[in-house]
Amino acid sequence: MSVRPDLSLDIGSLHLANPVMPASGCFGPELGDLIDLDRLGALVTKTIFFDRRSGNPADRLTETGGVMLNSVGIPSPGIDGFLTSVLPRYVASSPPTIVSIGGLTIGEYERVAARLDGVSGIAAIEVNISCPNLEAGGLEIGSDPMAVEAVVRSVVARTSVPIIAKLTPNVTSIVEIAQAAEAGGATAVSAINTLLGLGVSLEARRPLLGNGAGGVSGPAIKPVALRMVSEVAQAVRIPVIGVGGIATARDALQFLAVGAAAVQVGTATFTHPDSMLRVIDGIEAWMRERGLHSLGQITATIGKRAPERADVAASALPRIRATALEAPMGHP
Amino acid sequence: MVSGAPSLRSYRLTTLEDDGADFRVRPMLIRAPVLRNERLISDYWQLTLDAPAVADGAQPGQFAMLTIARQDGLTPLLPRPMALCRWDRAAGSIDVVYRVVGEGTAALTTWRSGEQMTTVGPLGTGFKLRAGASTILLLGRGIGTCSLTALALRGVSEGVRVVAVASRRDKQAAAGAALYGGDGSIEIIDVLDTDGSSDPAAVRRELLRRFDVTGPDQIFVCGSERLLRLAADLGDSHGAEVQVSIEAHMACGIGYCHGCSSGAPGLGEEAPLVCTNGPAFRVARGALA
Repeated sequence: MSVRPDLSLDIGSLHLANPVMPASGCFGPELGDLIDLDRLGALVTKTIFFDRRSGNPADRLTETGGVMLNSVGIPSPGIDGFLTSVLPRYVASSPPTIVSIGGLTIGEYERVAARLDGVSGIAAIEVNISCPNLEAGGLEIGSDPMAVEAVVRSVVARTSVPIIAKLTPNVTSIVEIAQAAEAGGATAVSAINTLLGLGVSLEARRPLLGNGAGGVSGPAIKPVALRMVSEVAQAVRIPVIGVGGIATARDALQFLAVGAAAVQVGTATFTHPDSMLRVIDGIEAWMRERGLHSLGQITATIGKRAPERADVAASALPRIRATALEAPMGHP
Repeated sequence: MVSGAPSLRSYRLTTLEDDGADFRVRPMLIRAPVLRNERLISDYWQLTLDAPAVADGAQPGQFAMLTIARQDGLTPLLPRPMALCRWDRAAGSIDVVYRVVGEGTAALTTWRSGEQMTTVGPLGTGFKLRAGASTILLLGRGIGTCSLTALALRGVSEGVRVVAVASRRDKQAAAGAALYGGDGSIEIIDVLDTDGSSDPAAVRRELLRRFDVTGPDQIFVCGSERLLRLAADLGDSHGAEVQVSIEAHMACGIGYCHGCSSGAPGLGEEAPLVCTNGPAFRVARGALA
């Protein structure tokens, strides 16, 4: 096959040249010193709050038992600092910019979204719902379906760009949360955020991180993320962006195969700063080897939706099944 | 770098990056071939990488992020910040000295000549050697000495008198005088825990003897909270500027992950980042309570 595979896709009005983008928090324009950012499907900012805020006390991150544990605490320049000094550095690159927003109350999400509305260069908003809700005793907004629907609905009402709800895995039913985001009018969901964890130093008799608990990330969480993305993709009609432990093209292809429309790469960028480029190259090479010409031939080919896909190349499907499926589907 | 950054909260640190003394180059991502990776003594190792892009722009006190996981591997997950101990611009090589203290550094010993290591550098705001400084004092302990060696060589090349305290546990700890090289142009005070010579009071007596007429213009410290306290004290009494290199857990090394905030208060909403605002910082006068 000499035809170059088409890696592009659309999420609402958001057009991506390829399905690979950074996970919020694991990226900044500084990375442009090391890799060509123009090759990415999209850029995703750190979570922006309305007001300036500092991060958490040291230590903010560590590696333990093969995973990364972090509680950086999302330091933010606030919406004014973001618009004047951060956003221009993103817009200088050609991929669409997705702005991650946060809030400690539903009202804060609304105010941030309203300030972003109509600002040139913002292609979409990702709503980080893994923030403590100060109006509900610090309970994570993302763990309450009613709060999620309310936040998404209020953000959608104040902006014209696509809204992506970033789902936390620290819930009993992520499907229920995803459906709430869909009901609130989200264009897409991304899953998953980090898993809540704790590292302990026996010698120092205190947690490894200054803030106590933190978020677990890295390749070890991939099976958790794949399971959740697979379930969510089957339960909602909006696109799902898969994130969690993706480090290689094969990881990304597994997410696409269980129904993700696109993927985000987080911790792997720390290990090898060019991980995202290698994922893009690897997806393209994998498609070329199999004579696949579009992502649609991969998306949701594993799982309940697979039999409905009439457009899947007959020769491709069995090989995808044979090579991409590492974990049993359904409940582990 | 001084470990245990949280205890540095008792010091007021200010950033050196606005001093404009050094030209900081854009960091590069390279796959650096390993030239040598050899044990120096006991658990101390020296790694030499073929990394002209890093060597070209390196300044004393800067570091590189070395990914110990091989190119197709993910373990360990996080790269390690390593002080640039020495570099050779003509040869295009950089040296780092590391001590095997955990799984990551143990894995680093398995790297062989010819293998290519994911490397990002040069990184960070290094030490600032003032124009006109005639004498500088370097206080280094253990592996922290490696952050000071390049500065010593820079000082010597600029005709500055360099006095270096090289503190270590015992003679099985490599990170002492040997790291400064042996050409005699640096006045090295090699002190050990085993004979009590590394005790800060003993180090102070020796330094007062050396500096009985003229004190140092600048003091640079790395690797020990006790030596930092001594440096701050000597800085106050001699009217010398004190700079410290500090250590922190970090993931990106270039400023976007914010994992390495120094926790130093008093500099705006978000504390300075060790990776870009540091690792070298100025210790404010009268820092000791």
